[in-house]
Amino acid sequence: MSFYPAALQELIEEFQEIDDKRERLEYLFELADEVNEFPTSQWSDVTRVRGCQSEAHVHIEVDQGLVHFQSGADAKMVQGMMGILTIALEGLAPAQALMIPPDFAEAMGLLNTLTPSRSNGFRNMFDKVMADIRLQVEG
Amino acid sequence: MSLRDQFPILQREVNGYPLVYLDNAATTQKPQVVLDAMSHYYAHSNANVHRAVHTLAGEATEGYEACRTKLKQRYNAERVIITSGTTEAINLVAHGWGRANLQKGDAVVLTEMEHHSDIVPWQMLAEERGVELRYVPVLPDFTLDMDVFSASLEGAKLVCVVHTSNVLGVRNPLEAIIEQSHAVGARVLIDAAQGVPHASIDFTEFGPDFMAFSAHKMCGPTGIGALLVTPAAFDEMQPFMGGGDMIETVTVDGSTYQTNEHKFEAGTPRIAEAIGWSAALDWMTSFDLDVEHARLVDIAGWVAQQLRELGMTVYGRHGPDDAAVVSFLHPTINSDDMAHLLDARGFAVRTGHHCAQPLLQRLGISGTVRASFYIYNTRDEAEAFVAEMKDIVETFA
Repeated sequence: MSFYPAALQELIEEFQEIDDKRERLEYLFELADEVNEFPTSQWSDVTRVRGCQSEAHVHIEVDQGLVHFQSGADAKMVQGMMGILTIALEGLAPAQALMIPPDFAEAMGLLNTLTPSRSNGFRNMFDKVMADIRLQVEG
Repeated sequence: MSLRDQFPILQREVNGYPLVYLDNAATTQKPQVVLDAMSHYYAHSNANVHRAVHTLAGEATEGYEACRTKLKQRYNAERVIITSGTTEAINLVAHGWGRANLQKGDAVVLTEMEHHSDIVPWQMLAEERGVELRYVPVLPDFTLDMDVFSASLEGAKLVCVVHTSNVLGVRNPLEAIIEQSHAVGARVLIDAAQGVPHASIDFTEFGPDFMAFSAHKMCGPTGIGALLVTPAAFDEMQPFMGGGDMIETVTVDGSTYQTNEHKFEAGTPRIAEAIGWSAALDWMTSFDLDVEHARLVDIAGWVAQQLRELGMTVYGRHGPDDAAVVSFLHPTINSDDMAHLLDARGFAVRTGHHCAQPLLQRLGISGTVRASFYIYNTRDEAEAFVAEMKDIVETFA
């Protein structure tokens, strides 16, 4: 049984209730509003998510023991996925954040919405965010 | 049965909506006769070709060689080497002809409009051999800079040019390119992957030395294509893949090779695919390609105009000889988002760099959305596509 924070569990259930792909996309687009903006002026090779078809950048800070996640992308879909990650991670203790398994996108039915390259891009983004959290904690 | 009804895949739904397949520049759908021919081969005649004397081997060989014969007849070519597709055909010219005929300092002329498949093999050869690569720029009106082309020909040994751009749909002035190239003694390779599906071509009269194309962009199977070669250029080629089928004799001291096309077809060839392509070639004679092409270009031109009115930038000119390809961008809606929204309503389009990054760099963009039409596409589908685009723009722009 996977562990999801309550907000993420709620989001999974909401996505599962949407049958129409267009509506699922529209909801994903709305979640772009959840993103903590990461200014394009700070985008660099270090922040880039590799394997994404479009530009996607993430930045993690652990401040006073809590994860702060900033991100930015040129495609609304990717911004939406970043919004989901923001809901999942923002304000958690690093140890809690690192317990989140990557399969929630599948549980949301998002991998049906995403093409394989997007799915890989999502996993690359997830893996990079987790690695960055680990780096912050372990120095 | 209507032409469209002969394609079983076109009857399906995607995400609860009827499929509108507009990614034909990437690959086309297959009519039932092609599926049946391949299935029948595997069910009744499957065997390896050219060697065994048993009946099945004979049927397989006849089926495979019939594809070559039909290609020779349809395109009026003396030499037809069967390859895995356009990419392998171009690589065959680079390795089989280029290595045998190009020395350090020789020039190869390319264009910025080329697909990566007609750039990377030459870059690899340039690195290995010290061959100079010269690129003909693309002008703002989406045509080649023919002044630069003419100036690039001095000392050129080979000219490689795409028949029709897979991004723009623009058909290049090939007759002038071939004539000028031959005047300086350069051989000419035409990447006709996007040209052959849309135009009747007499290879001998047309006049290039090499022409490469793929079956799957003209209702045939994936995994098979051809390189048409003039007898003179054929005699200048050396095999680059060794193995079965391409040899005459093999001893521990060395080997001798076949003298016909088999010399360039090492290993068990694509037998079922050749049989499927034969069926597609036969099927393509059931309608007038030129009439269909005119209809599709008309549709593409109409779609391009409608998209411009919706605020899109359209890349291409949609002239009568161009392919029915419409590449476009919206000023604010990301192209990948656009493609996903279209897919949600059953429309299949392509996004990205279309394996032509130098062209996109020249245009100052990183990708486009591309809708490409083929013989089974209808005006109704084009109108539905434009209506969906309107809805997307109204909702998301």
